[in-house]
Amino acid sequence: MAAVTASQPRSSKTESYVDNKRKEDIRQANIKAARSVADAVRTSLGPKGMDKMISTANGEVIITNDGATILNKMEVLQPAAKMLVELSKSQDAAAGDGTTTVVVIAGALLKQCLTLLSHGIHPTVISDSLHKASSKAVDVLTAMAVPLELSDRESLIKSASTSLNSKVVSQYSTLLAPLAVDSVLSVVDPAKPDMVDLRDIKIVKKHGGTVDDTQLVKGLVFDKKASHAAGGPTRMENAKIAVIQFQISPPKTDIEQSIVVSDYTQMDRILKEERNYILGMIKKIKATGCNVLLIQKSILRDAVTDLSLHYLAKAKIMVIKDVERDDIEFITKTLNCLPIANIEHFRAEKLGHAELVEEVSLGDAKIVKVTGIKDMGRTTTVLVRGSNQLVLDEAERSLHDALCVVRCLVSKRFLIAGGGAPEIELSRQLGAWSKVLHGMEGYCVRSFAEALEVIPYTLAENAGLNPIAIVTELRNRHAQGEINAGINVRKGQITNILEENVVQPLLVSTSAITLATECVRMILKIDDIVNVR
Amino acid sequence: MAIEKIFKDDASEEKGERARMASFVGAIAITDLVKTTLGPKGMDKILQSTGRGHGITVTNDGATILKSLHIDNPAAKVLIDISKVQDDEVGDGTTSVVVLAGELLREAEKLVAAKIHPMTIISGYRMAAECARNALLQRVVDNKENAEKFKSDLMKIAMTTLSSKILSQDKQHFAQLTVDAVMRLKGSTNLEAIQIIKKPGGSLKDSFLDEGFILDKKIGLGQPKRIENAKILVANTAMDTDKVKIYGARVRVDSMSKVAEIEGAEKEKMREKVQKIIAHGINCFVNRQLIYNFPEELFADAGILAIEHADFDGIERLALVTGGEIASTFDNPESVKLGHCKLIEEIMIGEDKLIHFSGVEMGQACTIVLRGASHHVLDEAERSLHDALCVLSQTVNDTRVLLGGGWPEMVMAKEVDELARKTPGKKSHAIEAFSRALVAIPTIISDNAGLDSADLVAQLRAAHHEGCNAGIDVITGSVGDMAELGISESFKVKQAVLLSATEAAEMILRVDEIITCAPRQREDRM
Repeated sequence: MAAVTASQPRSSKTESYVDNKRKEDIRQANIKAARSVADAVRTSLGPKGMDKMISTANGEVIITNDGATILNKMEVLQPAAKMLVELSKSQDAAAGDGTTTVVVIAGALLKQCLTLLSHGIHPTVISDSLHKASSKAVDVLTAMAVPLELSDRESLIKSASTSLNSKVVSQYSTLLAPLAVDSVLSVVDPAKPDMVDLRDIKIVKKHGGTVDDTQLVKGLVFDKKASHAAGGPTRMENAKIAVIQFQISPPKTDIEQSIVVSDYTQMDRILKEERNYILGMIKKIKATGCNVLLIQKSILRDAVTDLSLHYLAKAKIMVIKDVERDDIEFITKTLNCLPIANIEHFRAEKLGHAELVEEVSLGDAKIVKVTGIKDMGRTTTVLVRGSNQLVLDEAERSLHDALCVVRCLVSKRFLIAGGGAPEIELSRQLGAWSKVLHGMEGYCVRSFAEALEVIPYTLAENAGLNPIAIVTELRNRHAQGEINAGINVRKGQITNILEENVVQPLLVSTSAITLATECVRMILKIDDIVNVR
Repeated sequence: MAIEKIFKDDASEEKGERARMASFVGAIAITDLVKTTLGPKGMDKILQSTGRGHGITVTNDGATILKSLHIDNPAAKVLIDISKVQDDEVGDGTTSVVVLAGELLREAEKLVAAKIHPMTIISGYRMAAECARNALLQRVVDNKENAEKFKSDLMKIAMTTLSSKILSQDKQHFAQLTVDAVMRLKGSTNLEAIQIIKKPGGSLKDSFLDEGFILDKKIGLGQPKRIENAKILVANTAMDTDKVKIYGARVRVDSMSKVAEIEGAEKEKMREKVQKIIAHGINCFVNRQLIYNFPEELFADAGILAIEHADFDGIERLALVTGGEIASTFDNPESVKLGHCKLIEEIMIGEDKLIHFSGVEMGQACTIVLRGASHHVLDEAERSLHDALCVLSQTVNDTRVLLGGGWPEMVMAKEVDELARKTPGKKSHAIEAFSRALVAIPTIISDNAGLDSADLVAQLRAAHHEGCNAGIDVITGSVGDMAELGISESFKVKQAVLLSATEAAEMILRVDEIITCAPRQREDRM
């Protein structure tokens, strides 16, 4: 009996050895694939990071250094590599900035894990230690952070410009940073001070001019012309604005219909009726005192016809057509009005009021601006300009990142130094902590600490400095207690980074570390890839 | 004279030894595939879909892995089926059942090779299973009378189940969450009342239990964002126009004004419908289909909160929890049952706005909002949570509890071994084999944790000789007291694992011929 039981585990041992070989291979393959993704975006980190040009399948060209965008367009197929792409998306959702950082950290952690695995440490042990290390790291970061008041506009601007400095539009950071701060602050609801809904900030891109001409508009901007077809007004003071969801065109039923014309006189009559019908509608509109009409786009039929435009022009009503249904909520919120779905419900109390609605020429294009809105909702519009489509898109992405940074600060009011300072400090403190831990854990935590040095290393490398010299110098300074010493890329040396105004929100750093760790742990725990339906 | 051909072309037949071999190989291959996911230190698998999109799933749930596999081997299909049944019946132990069945077959293979008749093996297995079940029954703990203790039992079971899943880091938090949710059900196993909403962003720790119902939809424009003492009408009706649904129906008119009249009439019909709905005396209207601009405005004018395009699951559950009925005609308001709740308001989770119904009629209902880094994490978390909820709701009904961590297997193995010694004849070999198969489970758990299984299992066996609470403590990598560590399992799950694994193994053993029918001829589309 005893002999049988003894032989049984041994036989399963030999079998699992064969199995483990394959599992090891899969893990290695996963880690390699994920690391190659991380390496691809590594050079775009930091203020002197380079951009990537991506030409998509449909021939479109994108130039960007936003990690999330690069990874999104890469179309990777390997499952582990895909997880890294997901990781950067999550960071984008959680913090909005640091999408490159998170991937680079994950890559460095995986590299360390590979060494640990080759030493024969069980993946679950590594995974547990990583979790511990990351929660400790968050504590360290929180201890380093500087609290911030929302009234401290200067600090907010500083952190927004840190985010912008690593982008193509960095030379405009003095303009864009205050803009981002102002727009976020203007949509903060005093009732719910921790919540910022970025959907309340609308970014309108318009070709032409330079990024310098980007401006914040207290009101609404439509990337459309007012309707000129029949010479209607293009400027309206003391505007009474109606947002309508019906159509000013000949009637159309949901049931299929046809009009039978049997003789010539009937045709005349039908034409006349059409005219009367439209005229009747416009009279009703005019009766409420409305003088600006925003018409929702309709897929079923024409929202307006030439005829109705003509009558509207005669009635001195300014018309903006083809407003998307998705925008209606934003518009009604901003104008503090209600949408009108039927001509019968066209009443004066549903209108919005504004001091001025005018069509403005921007280069060869035209936009419509609504300003001086009465009882305006908590929304803002930013008009982004740029000399070509590529710059414009990148400016929008950068502005989005900057907005996210400010939003992070609103929801979690702590600042932390930038320029690699927090990472090197983390590395130092975790390294010290690992010495008091026992067993495998201590070993794994030390690897975690080493992996974090990748951020200052890459920052220095991308800036053309000697990474080893810089990182060792940085370590040295931190060991002497200068916890805010970081890489000043512009000067190419190490300075107190807080004094240089390079700051970032705490949320960006903490979420980068926790998300990267979570992703790495997930990759580590995988031992097989199974093809399924 | 031999019959030349019995089967159709392409049909094949495998007999006797070969058939048995084929089923053993298939079943053991499946077992080997899932066995690394067993236990708290089990590994995950990536499931890569070969379909469109090449979507990936990362999971550790046996049922999910097996469900999505391409399988051609009939015996392997039997194993997948038992895992599915286990999932439906008790929700957890889906990997264990497959592993145990596989181990039983692995042992049976050896016995068959030693020229023992399959029927003898089967009867041996039956005796062993019965004996094992009795052994468990003797050792169960039932804390039904003591509510306080029972609750802590539930906590322990939840923690044990969750510790092998992705939620293991925050198992305390999630165990509390699931226990609270299940306690609210008050003994019913209707898990429909527990809604799980997944929202990316934040970390797993930010997940929470909400006492109410959350609908992931938006409130229509210009409508009240907050309603107290809401009367809710849940409906499934078209809110564009009531069209004549006969194909080819069309209206023929001879002037423009008539068209306008018809349009007006259509609008009027809609208005009437809305009036009828409003006449129910409601202040919240939830529709499964779209609500177009026109009726939306009518509702806004009447100060009614209208929610459009609520998904099918959403409205069925809403109808369930608010105590209303789904209506599709509105002619007799008195026959329609309205739903009620104390407060409807808009809340924000992460970046999204959701509608929150609190103080609902059915007190059992609640919502678990899961937060996590990515969709993969969330999906896996949902699966894990579902397992835990299933087990807990089963335990509430059948309150018997066992210890975990390989303890039940060792208890059973010991009893089965005793039986083997007492049983004369060839059957005793089969009974002995059964006990070896049971021991395989703690062996695999310790192997997965990277521990020395041979040593640990031997220690465990020695410890059990006296009959104690010893089990494998994978965290420290040694034999530990399971009662002290608070590792518990539901008796119902263990029993289901034992019985269905034995049955499946028996079924596969009985097979001595596999007939593969000719595949149906595809018609040539050329």
